[in-house]
Amino acid sequence: MSNTIHIQIDRADGSLQRLIGLVERRGFEIHGMNMNDVGDWRTLALTVASRDGTRCIDNLGRQIDRLFGVRRIEAPASANAA
Amino acid sequence: MTVATIQMPANETTAQTGASLVVSTLERMGVDVVFGYPGGAIMPIYDAIAGSGVRHYLCRHEQGAAFAADAYARASGKVGVCMATSGPGATNLVTGIANAMLDSVPMVCITGNVPQAVMGTDAFQEVDIMGVTMPLVKHSYLVRDAADVPAIIEEAFHIARTGRPGPVLIDLPKDIQFQQTDSVRAFHLSNDNGIADSAAIMAAAEAIRIAKRPILYIGGGAKISGAVEAVREFARLTGIPQVSTLNALGTIPTGQDNYLGMLGMHGTRAANDAVQASDLLIVVGARFDDRATGKLAEFAPNAGVVHFDVDASEIGKLRPVAVPVVGDLRPNLEALNRELQSGTAISVGEWADKCRAEMAACAVNYNAPGDSIYAPALLNELSKKAGPSFIAACDVGQHQMWVAQHCEFSRPQAHITSGGLGAMGFGLPAGIGAKLADPSACVVTITGDGGVMMNIQELATVNRFNIPLKIVLLDNSRLGMVRQWQEFFFERNFSEVDLSDNPDFVKVAEAFGIPAFRIDAKDQVSEGIDRLLAADGPILMHVIIDPEDNVWPLVPPGKNNAEMMEGSR
Repeated sequence: MSNTIHIQIDRADGSLQRLIGLVERRGFEIHGMNMNDVGDWRTLALTVASRDGTRCIDNLGRQIDRLFGVRRIEAPASANAA
Repeated sequence: MTVATIQMPANETTAQTGASLVVSTLERMGVDVVFGYPGGAIMPIYDAIAGSGVRHYLCRHEQGAAFAADAYARASGKVGVCMATSGPGATNLVTGIANAMLDSVPMVCITGNVPQAVMGTDAFQEVDIMGVTMPLVKHSYLVRDAADVPAIIEEAFHIARTGRPGPVLIDLPKDIQFQQTDSVRAFHLSNDNGIADSAAIMAAAEAIRIAKRPILYIGGGAKISGAVEAVREFARLTGIPQVSTLNALGTIPTGQDNYLGMLGMHGTRAANDAVQASDLLIVVGARFDDRATGKLAEFAPNAGVVHFDVDASEIGKLRPVAVPVVGDLRPNLEALNRELQSGTAISVGEWADKCRAEMAACAVNYNAPGDSIYAPALLNELSKKAGPSFIAACDVGQHQMWVAQHCEFSRPQAHITSGGLGAMGFGLPAGIGAKLADPSACVVTITGDGGVMMNIQELATVNRFNIPLKIVLLDNSRLGMVRQWQEFFFERNFSEVDLSDNPDFVKVAEAFGIPAFRIDAKDQVSEGIDRLLAADGPILMHVIIDPEDNVWPLVPPGKNNAEMMEGSR
């Protein structure tokens, strides 16, 4: 099952790589991505799914939220992304 | 986190290069020690650092510099700083950066890089170190304007030490180091560690009051956050039995009532059995690491969890949490202690009695049979004789577990170890960093014949700066921990663990200008320790031990913590 996470992130060197790398490293596949630049920040809508069906979308949201440069995140409050 | 930059008035600055701004910002922030190794792409910074107020310790490999900075941070409570050039210099830092990340150590790593004009062209010694280290850092910067140098360095220090600490990388292209600027932006600090709301504290207190078999499960976060006194007060106040992870050793002094020692793969049976039988785990700054939990699905199967952590992403990562308390550990634990003092007293006497009895049954027999040196007994005696200023800077392997099990620690800084990464080669540079951070401490690097060879070049650093570091080299001529696993889990197929062609370590140390001596029999141990501790300068004690000695007890891989293998010499 896929979920879409909406993120506002600074348009700094490496910010996109940092975000995408985190999502994949934490056990999720990216099924879709929509990005727009808005001044010195950008918005992303990432559609993701747990690779093995066991990873929790809530926790991924918290891990994204602790990245520096992330201004805002909206993640679904489901217990499991599977 | 809120970050604001402000433009400093031009008349308060004079034209400076990016390199001189690096050094002047470090000076202004009170950084007096950095570890590093120069090279082509960082030469402007090395030009500026000469004659500055920043003391640079030249290590003999960038990995040694990173490990030394890491241990300097752990022993001092400050941010450790290391620097290296582009390409191989930067990639040599990587293991040290990962080490700091996995153990949440505040560190700032400064790398030079090729000029921006040739970045992305595979230039000489060009590596995308920001990309390489992205999974391993708390944050990283590529500096694009010299005017940003002060703000970025200050922000990097702030990020490294606040919240859950970690390493921050600053990559400076060479043209930025040369760039002149007379206008710099400054960083405006904010602190957002956060304190949990009172409802969370009340819920935690309620869960603790109704628990029949609670356990306080202490992780490295307790040390990092300065919550040691609050943890000790909780233990005194409630009488709840305590267990510790590897990185939390020293938070509760060894031998204290109701303290059951380390849990996990090489923990005590008392700690593991108590956790498995508990009905409530009060987790403080721990992350349910697999070396601590064993088979996660069977870990503490009947326990609810109250989890105190500054990092919200640790809540529920591996284990469901009934009561999350997110925020700075110290104020939250202090609030919990106040709440517990004001209400019904905690009553766990019978449970605590049972745990204490189990702990008493775990007493180690240090008078092992045989004439060869028994490392656990040596380490126990060493820590007792070294006294309250003892700091053990460990390498990784069997000796690391023996230190954790058998040394006595009275304070959290006393045990410095590569916990999360388990990086062989940590011990020697870690001892250097710890001794420079705390010159009055009795710092002892405890290493093995495998680990010491991974950064043996740092003996030259010890000698160059005449650092009075004591080194205990436990030599079984094997990669002992791998050998132990091959013995029990790979049908004694001892593949590639023989190190019997090691050099003569006494001669090696002496060649580096460091006095050294060897002991190889049990009756030489006490005199050897005395000689080691009495030395004014650096000294190495080479200790020959039995290759077949193993670390006991042991939870086999894939088993739960109740299924400990016991053994003895």
